[in-house]
Amino acid sequence: MATMRERVEAALGTYVGDTVADTCVRGTALSLGKSADDLTEADLPALESSIRRLLGPIAPSSVIDDLLTKIQKGF
Amino acid sequence: MATESVPAARKNSVMAPATYVGAGVLVGLTAIYWFLSTQMYADVLGDTAYAMSYWFGTLLQIVFAVVIVTIALRIGLDQGVGKQWLFVGMGVAAFAIGDIIWTVLELHMGLDPYPSLADPFYVLQYVFFMTAIVLAIRSYQHLTPIRTPVIIAAAIAIILGIVVYAALLAPHIFPAGIAELGFWGLVVSTLYPLGDVFFILAPALALALIIRQLGAGRLGWPWWVIVVGAVVYSFTDAFYSYADWSGLGLTVTLDMGWAVANLMFALAALVARDVYRVR
Repeated sequence: MATMRERVEAALGTYVGDTVADTCVRGTALSLGKSADDLTEADLPALESSIRRLLGPIAPSSVIDDLLTKIQKGF
Repeated sequence: MATESVPAARKNSVMAPATYVGAGVLVGLTAIYWFLSTQMYADVLGDTAYAMSYWFGTLLQIVFAVVIVTIALRIGLDQGVGKQWLFVGMGVAAFAIGDIIWTVLELHMGLDPYPSLADPFYVLQYVFFMTAIVLAIRSYQHLTPIRTPVIIAAAIAIILGIVVYAALLAPHIFPAGIAELGFWGLVVSTLYPLGDVFFILAPALALALIIRQLGAGRLGWPWWVIVVGAVVYSFTDAFYSYADWSGLGLTVTLDMGWAVANLMFALAALVARDVYRVR
């Protein structure tokens, strides 16, 4: 089963590229006092908040909503 | 044992068939204008055909502007990206209005349209385009470093500004001065080549360096097309002045640069529409 990190990076990478996606996930994990590999379902609200803040200026909210839905469903 | 790995990205194309059709129509219209321009340059058209060809090119700019503004409005002005694309569209619209005024003055009134009321609208394209690109650059500030790309672009712009000064302003424009060009003629003759470098090319270079960090990320796609258009626009505009003043001579290819640049901006908006579409 894909880890939370892999799910988020796969979804984000489509839009912002793998490198930036990786940076986003690691940054969010760091703000939670975790490593990216330790992210779990429980961290979804924090990830969602982080993704909305980062992507909000560069993508319409409908795209971000769709992306978050895919992450929650594991695609 | 079956393993569930990272879900694969969807295989369906990001670009909708309607986008290819729309892009094909715009490219086709531009190609027709290119052909008409060759006939205009060859001086083989009658008065009516010449006027219709002239207006075809002018109206083409309006089509480009309408495409971009419509897409910006569909994205929504409550969205950050919607505003960015609206400014791109307003820039092309300003250029189109300038072209309409230029056409009326030159074609129907027999006046020299340089400088004229058309120039404030051409200048407005710089203002709107730079606003759009600065907003786009700032929107990436939480995702990727933007300071270094901006500094590199500024350094390149300064070098190119010196080239413009050495090749065009110092040997041609400034010696002609107010005596030959008039006050406003001198102002716009100085502003255009420098504006091309500092207000079009430099912001586009900075944006290119920023979205380069997105790799294949699709949110960068439309901005790459914008960058190509900006490069075409700035080189066309600056080199047109140089070719005119240095006696190098003007060509159809050079004259088509503005239309091709605005075409690229319209194609970029079409790409943006698809990239921002939820599937």
